[in-house]
Amino acid sequence: MDFSFFIMQLISGLTVATLLFLVASGLTLIFGVGDVFNFAHGSFYMIGAYLAFQVISVLQVNFWLGLVLSGLGAGLVGIIAEVFLLRRIYGRKHEAGFQILLTFCLILIIDDLVKIIWGTEYKTIQRPPGFSGPVQIGDLYIPSYNILIIVIGIIVVVAAWWILNKTRAGKIARAAAVDREMLGAMGINVPMTMTMVFGIATALGGFAGALAAPLRSVTPGAGVEVIIDSLIVVVIGGMGNFWGAWMGALLIGELTAFGIVIVPKWATLFSYLVMIIVLIFKPEGLFAPRKVRKV
Amino acid sequence: MRIKNCWICLIVALLAFVVIPVSVSAADKMIKIGGLYPMTGRAGLYGKDSVAAAEIAINEINAKGGAAGYKIDATFNDSKVKAAYAIRVAKRYISEDKVNFLFGVVSSGVGLAVTEVSKQEKTIFIGTDHASTRLTVDNFQPYYFRVSNNTFQSMASGALYLKELKKTKPWKTIAFIGPDYSYGHSQFDEIKYSLERLGVEFKVVGEYWPKIYAPDYTSYITSILNDKPDVLVAGFWGGDTVAFIKQAQAFGLFNKTTYFHPDAGGNYELMSAMGDELPLGLILGARHYNNWPETELNKNFVKNFKALTGRYPTYAAEGAYAGIYAIAAAVEKVGNPDDTEALIKALEGLKIKLPEDPDGFTSYINPETHQMIQTQAIGVTVANKDFPPATRMLGNWTIYKAEDLIPPSDYIKMKRKK
Repeated sequence: MDFSFFIMQLISGLTVATLLFLVASGLTLIFGVGDVFNFAHGSFYMIGAYLAFQVISVLQVNFWLGLVLSGLGAGLVGIIAEVFLLRRIYGRKHEAGFQILLTFCLILIIDDLVKIIWGTEYKTIQRPPGFSGPVQIGDLYIPSYNILIIVIGIIVVVAAWWILNKTRAGKIARAAAVDREMLGAMGINVPMTMTMVFGIATALGGFAGALAAPLRSVTPGAGVEVIIDSLIVVVIGGMGNFWGAWMGALLIGELTAFGIVIVPKWATLFSYLVMIIVLIFKPEGLFAPRKVRKV
Repeated sequence: MRIKNCWICLIVALLAFVVIPVSVSAADKMIKIGGLYPMTGRAGLYGKDSVAAAEIAINEINAKGGAAGYKIDATFNDSKVKAAYAIRVAKRYISEDKVNFLFGVVSSGVGLAVTEVSKQEKTIFIGTDHASTRLTVDNFQPYYFRVSNNTFQSMASGALYLKELKKTKPWKTIAFIGPDYSYGHSQFDEIKYSLERLGVEFKVVGEYWPKIYAPDYTSYITSILNDKPDVLVAGFWGGDTVAFIKQAQAFGLFNKTTYFHPDAGGNYELMSAMGDELPLGLILGARHYNNWPETELNKNFVKNFKALTGRYPTYAAEGAYAGIYAIAAAVEKVGNPDDTEALIKALEGLKIKLPEDPDGFTSYINPETHQMIQTQAIGVTVANKDFPPATRMLGNWTIYKAEDLIPPSDYIKMKRKK
């Protein structure tokens, strides 16, 4: 493997990892704060992609504005789902069946709604002007849109770190993950906090869908396709662990990128293998702090 | 107002007495078909189109009085692209609905499961879309028939195309990328087999097996670029092709290697989804084209489909249309839909003129494999705005004779022995 090819695989793995992280981060956030495993999280990714199609391709809104609007739109749908449905199942870990049932039903409902509104035909969005071609770095040609995705991913990571650690809102969200009752006793509006966290998490998913749409095909069922890999990432990183999700995504993205080169026939197996090994030897997640914070 | 209500009640009561007995007596002479198609997820488009096309065929046949006096009555259910679920529905069709034919199925994985039910229950299964050759060769059973072409036929024509291509564009190496299940693996084995059989020299420099419906191919693309194959043989299915082409284009893959996708690459939904973004000069094939052959039958089929659904059909539609006509022709021959053994005899060797048949050729079912034998065409993407929203369609056709694409007997024997 020569050096430039190595760099190329590294960068392509990074693109995959970034999109994976954007979906997985929302998933892990909801799990961390609400103790809900939201199977339907991928559906918000799909909503984001379809909204982007509607706003950017049909209504011809500026691409960048369209990205933001799609993320916000998915977040809004997320808030509605939280207020009417998911709010009822927070913390009911001992009744995991209800959580699975509810969020799985949500997948089916959202899939059908998408089918009713946009039909079953494949939709696509063109890359934004200025980002359709490759960038030359040394003797490598890398699509500029892929670089854009990586940069946006880094911005989101830094922004999330800042919000979670340096702002009051972030501290409240982290407190909600530890003890909701105590948080309520201290005069914080817990239901409102949960709704906002859910809204932000689903907006992240929707944003990922919109960002990925120019690279992928927008179809019904697109949500289910991303949820499995995101789930693997979340398990590897530690359920509810934001940084773990990032590390997990990087690990899976790069493992797949180099697995394809080394053992092409078994490349897709790698991520599952890693998940199984992690579940056996470090079930709390590879990147979970030594002492598990939640009881 | 009250008088009006009374009138309505009276009419309803009358209708109940008059119409229902009529429909019951009509039900005595019915060809019952149990259809299985995906209605959700990525494959939902093919399911919807297949059902629409089947209904067009059913209406056409029933309007002319049905087949041998029997009207066609078809029920369609979601296969959910899940083998276990499809098996349950198929069994229910047979035990409760007493269907004469199982029908449809888009995924080869589901097809391989349903053909087992058909074998056990001795009920004819007409496959209209799934393409894995295993159904007609390795896992062949007498109650199975397929009316759309299989991957062997696509790959045999593909190999002939590649052989010709050497003259204008000397190529030596190929790489393959396709979904990691029966359909993908069949295609890779068959293109290699057909190339070797034709004595074409080639070297495989890479093979890639992403999951079906994988959303991202970036890492595969960069690795293919490193392999530098002269020809990239692709075996993607459905929306996966769209995602791959979009991602590969940004890396300039199509300037460096010839993209060759003979089984499902030329599907109309690729053209309609990608519009101007679809690169020119890709070599693609499909099981049915909206702009070839330019026969009255094909033009009418496309026109009627558009009139019913408001859009142009995907390739899957014509398979379902063909399936209904094959059933009608067999029942017409036998005189009833209940004598399964006689229907098998009637279907074996059945000749039927289909929208995808060019002038001078009629599709027929090979008695040895129960596979519909058809002409194949491979085209190149060119600008063409006749079928909006697509702005590219296939053109510069190369046509292959049906007889040149049939698996040889020793190949069939070898596969069936396994």
